[in-house]
Amino acid sequence: MNASALRRYTPFAASSLQSLLQYRSTFLINALTATTAVGVQVFLWRAVYGGRPGGLPGGYDLPRLTTYVLLAQVLGLMQASRVDEEVSGEVQRGDIAVSLLRPVSYPLARFAAGLPVSLTNATLVAVPVVALYALLLPLTAPTWGGMLLFAVSAALSLVIGFGVNLLVGLAGFVTTNIWGVRVVKDSVVAFFAGQVVPLALMPGPLAAVARVLPFQGMVDGPLRLLLGRYDGAAGAAVILTAQLGWAAALCALAALAWRGAVRRVEVLGG
Amino acid sequence: MIVAENLVKEFRVAERGPGLIGSLSTLFSREHRLVRAVSGVSFEIPAGTKAAYIGANGAGKSTTVKMLTGIMTPTSGRALVAGLEPYRERRRNAANIGVVFGQRSQLWWDLPVPDSFRILRRVHEIPDAVYRRNMALFQELLDLDALGNTPVRQLSLGQRMRAEVAASLVHDPKVVFLDEPTVGLDLVLKEAVRRLVNHVNAELGTTVLLTSHDMGDITAICDRVLVVNHGEVVHRGTMHELLRTADTRAVVFEHHGGPDEAISLIGKGLEGASARLVDGGRIRVEYPVARWTSRQVMGFLLDHFDVTDCVAPEPDLEMVLRRIYAGRVAA
Repeated sequence: MNASALRRYTPFAASSLQSLLQYRSTFLINALTATTAVGVQVFLWRAVYGGRPGGLPGGYDLPRLTTYVLLAQVLGLMQASRVDEEVSGEVQRGDIAVSLLRPVSYPLARFAAGLPVSLTNATLVAVPVVALYALLLPLTAPTWGGMLLFAVSAALSLVIGFGVNLLVGLAGFVTTNIWGVRVVKDSVVAFFAGQVVPLALMPGPLAAVARVLPFQGMVDGPLRLLLGRYDGAAGAAVILTAQLGWAAALCALAALAWRGAVRRVEVLGG
Repeated sequence: MIVAENLVKEFRVAERGPGLIGSLSTLFSREHRLVRAVSGVSFEIPAGTKAAYIGANGAGKSTTVKMLTGIMTPTSGRALVAGLEPYRERRRNAANIGVVFGQRSQLWWDLPVPDSFRILRRVHEIPDAVYRRNMALFQELLDLDALGNTPVRQLSLGQRMRAEVAASLVHDPKVVFLDEPTVGLDLVLKEAVRRLVNHVNAELGTTVLLTSHDMGDITAICDRVLVVNHGEVVHRGTMHELLRTADTRAVVFEHHGGPDEAISLIGKGLEGASARLVDGGRIRVEYPVARWTSRQVMGFLLDHFDVTDCVAPEPDLEMVLRRIYAGRVAA
């Protein structure tokens, strides 16, 4: 796709950001939610550590684990781009009809509209929350190399998150109880992504399952790269390749689902 | 410009009985019923035509428009709009068409109207000159600036509809589909919307397909008419031809003499015709076309009365349509 075709999508990003800024209280609420969630988890882990003076398996000491838990919330926030909600809402209200009248690819327009949500959450919510905990608790300072790998990996995790959310949103074509699907998705994805517990600390079979699912590339992968929990360059390459593969596979799957869904659009009335 | 060949659209609708029991039973058994919203519609609308697509509620108008705009895929049959099959080449087709759905907004709900236009400009890659020309036209006819910087969701229906109609035309589409475009507009704005549509048709040769329950829209805009009933086209032709299918005609005249004896004389002399007094002391004679020719009726009136004024109004579109919907005229 050339640059001029891509330019058609910038207004979707710009308008999404504009709409977003009209509901400023959302950021405050997101910040409070994230702060609380991090707080609860950090103190839970501190209690666990209190009973295990030898530290946890997987090379996670307390500052490292605190960093993990904190940044896991940040990644979770970034991936909550509301794409699932918006897509299923449009399908159910029938507004999808109007979206189909625009000469653009609907999934790409949705991605463009979701990007500012992710990025504003990352800056307006994540930065203050991370700063707050950096003052309160000991954290592990990442290396420059780790941060670079993390940046690439976090970008890929956004694409994976988008693919998952778009697929869930498209479920609106099949069921009207999209709320239930989303609740299940939220908890399943959060768990297998490693947002609650790093994969290295999961019981063996569970970790094995998590490793073959796409979700580990959303939180566990980027944070292993940031915290140096991999075996040399080859280990880092494996994490990134897996992410890339899943990102491509999910996008292809979502594109396929979209093509199937659009053929069965039935907007009655209106 | 628009071609429909045997377009069919069927929906599967879940059957459910009435009341709570009926709803509960769908948990265990779900039966589907096939509803045929559009059954084999064929028509052709030449470029530059302003066609009305008329039908009673549930006649399949909206469904047909959704297939022509690429939103829905037909169950069978084929449609072509500006040479493209809309549902197969949705995005390319979307660049060729403009659409107003009276009940749905195509504007960005949380943003002010001018922002929606800026977005459309980029999305459709509208050349500067075209954009400026169209915005000036919309301003002149619809006074869009008056909508200010209020988010669309806070606009009244009338305010929003002005912006909707303008938004459908901003990229100089080859075809514009207008589904109830004057819903919620007052007389002055209705007139402005009709002028705008007629203007772009005259200047750019834009093909117009209008569906409306507002007879005023249809007569003010359209030169051709397609009437659908039960998912089939039951009449096609010019507005004039449609009106000619009326099975009764009327003559209104004024004369020197008393109305009462005139009415009874007409009743006796023109069997099957009815005469009544209308405002201003004039007499309206309605006669069945099958029984009397206009010449016979006029001859009778001129022979028997000292006629001072006489008009033969066009048959009323609404009356014609009512008869078509009721199935009394098969054209």
